[in-house]
Amino acid sequence: MSQPALLRGGGWQPLLWLALLLAAALGLAELEGLFRLIEPDSRTVIYGRAAFIDLLGSHVLLVALAAGVSSLVGVGAAIMVTRRWGADFLPLVSQLASIGQTIPPVAVLALAVPALGFGSGPTLFALMLYGLLPILRNSLAGLRGIDPAVLEAARGMGMAPLQVLWQVELPLALTVILAGIRTSVTINIATAAIGSTIGARTLGDPVISGLVIGNTAFILQGAILIGLLAVAVDSLFEQLQRRAPGA
Amino acid sequence: MIELSNVSKLFDQARAVDDISLTVATGELCVLVGTSGCGKSTTLRMINRLIAHSAGSIRIDGRDIEQIDPQQLRRGIGYAIQSTGLFPHWTVARNIAVVPRLLGWPAERVRQRVEELLQLLELAPAEFAGKYPRQLSGGQAQRVGVARALAGDPDILLMDEPFGALDPITRESLQNELLRIQQQVRKTIVFVTHDMDEALKLASRIVVMDKGRIVQQDSPQALLAKPANAFVENLLGGQERGLKQAGLLRVDSLMQALARPTSAVTGPRIKATDSLRQALSLMLWHRCSSLPVVDDQGRQVGVLQLDALMSRPQ
Amino acid sequence: MMVSLRGNRVIPVLALMALALLWSLDFVSVQPNRIAPGNGLGLLAAVGLPWALTLTAALLACALLALRPQQPAYWPILWLVSLLVLQLPLSLAWSIERHIGADMPYARVGIGAGYWSLLFLLGLLLIELQQRLRLARAWLLGSGIALALLLWWLAPQDWLEPLALLREYSSRRSQFAAALASHLGLVGGAVGLSLLLGGAIALLLQRYPGAQKGSIGLLSFIQTIPSLALFGLLIAPLSYLSAQFPWLQQLNIRGIGWAPALLALIAYSLLPIVRNTCVALAEVEAAVIESARGMGMSPTQVFLQVRLPLAMPLIIEGVRVTSIQAIGLTAVAALIGAGGFGTFIFQGLGQSAMDLIILGALPIIALALLADSLFSLLAERFYSGVGDDRAE
Repeated sequence: MSQPALLRGGGWQPLLWLALLLAAALGLAELEGLFRLIEPDSRTVIYGRAAFIDLLGSHVLLVALAAGVSSLVGVGAAIMVTRRWGADFLPLVSQLASIGQTIPPVAVLALAVPALGFGSGPTLFALMLYGLLPILRNSLAGLRGIDPAVLEAARGMGMAPLQVLWQVELPLALTVILAGIRTSVTINIATAAIGSTIGARTLGDPVISGLVIGNTAFILQGAILIGLLAVAVDSLFEQLQRRAPGA
Repeated sequence: MIELSNVSKLFDQARAVDDISLTVATGELCVLVGTSGCGKSTTLRMINRLIAHSAGSIRIDGRDIEQIDPQQLRRGIGYAIQSTGLFPHWTVARNIAVVPRLLGWPAERVRQRVEELLQLLELAPAEFAGKYPRQLSGGQAQRVGVARALAGDPDILLMDEPFGALDPITRESLQNELLRIQQQVRKTIVFVTHDMDEALKLASRIVVMDKGRIVQQDSPQALLAKPANAFVENLLGGQERGLKQAGLLRVDSLMQALARPTSAVTGPRIKATDSLRQALSLMLWHRCSSLPVVDDQGRQVGVLQLDALMSRPQ
Repeated sequence: MMVSLRGNRVIPVLALMALALLWSLDFVSVQPNRIAPGNGLGLLAAVGLPWALTLTAALLACALLALRPQQPAYWPILWLVSLLVLQLPLSLAWSIERHIGADMPYARVGIGAGYWSLLFLLGLLLIELQQRLRLARAWLLGSGIALALLLWWLAPQDWLEPLALLREYSSRRSQFAAALASHLGLVGGAVGLSLLLGGAIALLLQRYPGAQKGSIGLLSFIQTIPSLALFGLLIAPLSYLSAQFPWLQQLNIRGIGWAPALLALIAYSLLPIVRNTCVALAEVEAAVIESARGMGMSPTQVFLQVRLPLAMPLIIEGVRVTSIQAIGLTAVAALIGAGGFGTFIFQGLGQSAMDLIILGALPIIALALLADSLFSLLAERFYSGVGDDRAE
């Protein structure tokens, strides 16, 4: 990985945001003087129940796990229902993917509690379930949007079904699938933050606890970190999508 | 009458149309023909001011078009284009009614006019008036496009490759339709096409354009007889010129007429109104050097000799 | 694999899944009072043998009818599924009748996982049938609402009263109404204002296309920021402003409450509206615009009679996306004291009151689905161009 190649075409942007995010996670605690200006009357102005970097770590872990599982399941399901033997399920699955996305993620998160209880596990489950939908929908759109003539040509040249899938269909659908994963991750970063209210350990913790005890400094610290995380990850995906073949 | 004098159009210093002068007389069907990018569509669009000309002057019935409000000007000029440009959210009737409504005609007159035009273009009003453009076939949509262009009863009609996207059979029937309508309504028509056969068939005068300039303007026969240069010759189809020319002439122009029509003939025969090209084809097929010529009732009215075709003066 | 089984395989799979979940999970749970832990009851215990067998038979019948080799019997299946949906409230009432005596005034019945699974799978069955029979979504939605109203009207007033969900509701009737009002108010206000503002921005961007990339980029950037963060970031500056200017306090504009919520909602709503409006206006076919001009329409006529009506479906799609998004975000805004149904969710989470959480979440889902159907219908109407002929 040579440096110029990485930095070409705005490649520095995700690096910049990531650096800012890390700097904020490690350095916000040192800016007590600054936050004191916002909350002159509070006893503490730096959220202290957990280190920001730890919260960041567990937030990222939650989202990454959810994204990994939903990508596998979502793309897998899309592949299945676009084969001839799975075509029976195509109408239902594609309707489900589009109707499901109408349901607000916060409602799914809330309903995870009566179903599974409090904590990181139910949050992860809700993230996976909801994050599945955009990936599923985009994978379907990507796979079904391929020009039939291309597929016919691939088959006509004697490619086996798996070869058509790996060498033609998936590469052609990749940009659209990536866009779905990006949407899913963006939503999940936001939903994971709200997951604090059901007991997951995420960057939402400082915001929620700040709201509960009325400490604007806590709220600000959490909000800055969540915002930076979202923007950094999004710009990372932007770069990925640009580098995908056929982009 | 449309007069273009020394008209030029520059797009970013590139001369799309280069100093052309052209007069289209009232009632004439003038076809601009040339390869793509030759400036023929630009020329057409300058006449209704969809594109402003950069130099020269354009006059319609003696009035400089720059003195006329562009919207008023366009309402008085019919306009039909290849992709029809029908409004997809309006019915056929509403589409045809656009210009009459813009002109502020009373509703009843608009309704009558729409019906009249649907009939003129052989679209049954009861069936088509309420349809939406996406429910029409390509040929039907183009008929509606032509009806819409005629709706405000304009003296001038501008048509930009209106039949370009149609299959050969539909295209031919619409060409015949246009000739029939032109017989009935006598508009001044400027028609753009890249298809020389279409030009030869429709035009009373053909204007050949190349690289923004007029290369030659003449009647179809004169063009075929004396192409000005290799470009025009090439456009005319080179080696097939003889056939194309024969396609413009009618059998009765060269036949030896009989003193009085005889009874019906059987076997190979040709109609007096058919073209010499069709006669030649028949002779080739039946390997004969003369054909009986018949009228619409099938009675023989003359004889066409291959020799007459061959000895015809250029 | 040569046997050509033309039957539908989706319906049997769904029906058998419903059966498995119905028999393995709790159908309802009974709590002696609000605080005591619930006691789960399976299907058999909850509704008794005859009812349980009837349910099983109906689901099996759906599976069998779908497997009919030539042509699956979709209409009879639709009837069966509708009956199964209809029996949902009845089976609850029946469970209550069987398990809650008159001597248990504080007892409440909770809806179990088996019941929810049945509801969900019946929903899937309905979607599958709607697809196969090519029924309009509006038709299905309309008959669903009509049935619900009929049932409500026929049923005795307190037949489901011991249901925990309804107990939570009846102790909060006025709060529920207030939550509905503030939820709809915030969503409506945000969508309405963004439509005005976004429409104006989109029109400006038509005139200055150079600014398009930057503006859309900025709005996308805002969209990336998670709601909790944006709400949080707005609190400090609004508190400061409110402290500086007393008249803002009189308008109830402060760091928390409706003001930051509305601001954030508008910021989020602008992107779908501006982007869709720009795309919609730009994507009207050039030939259509040219022939409109060629026939002598003035620029205003071209815009109002041609460009805007043709752009309408996509613009409405933008409003649809925005509304659904705003309904969800307003729920989050309850965290900063903006009211709405989110209040119930977060109260419920705080008190570990599961039914209160559900009482908040269900209306949010219902509102989102309703908004989705409404705007989809509206967009379809515009697309067919019906009724446009004589309008003007």
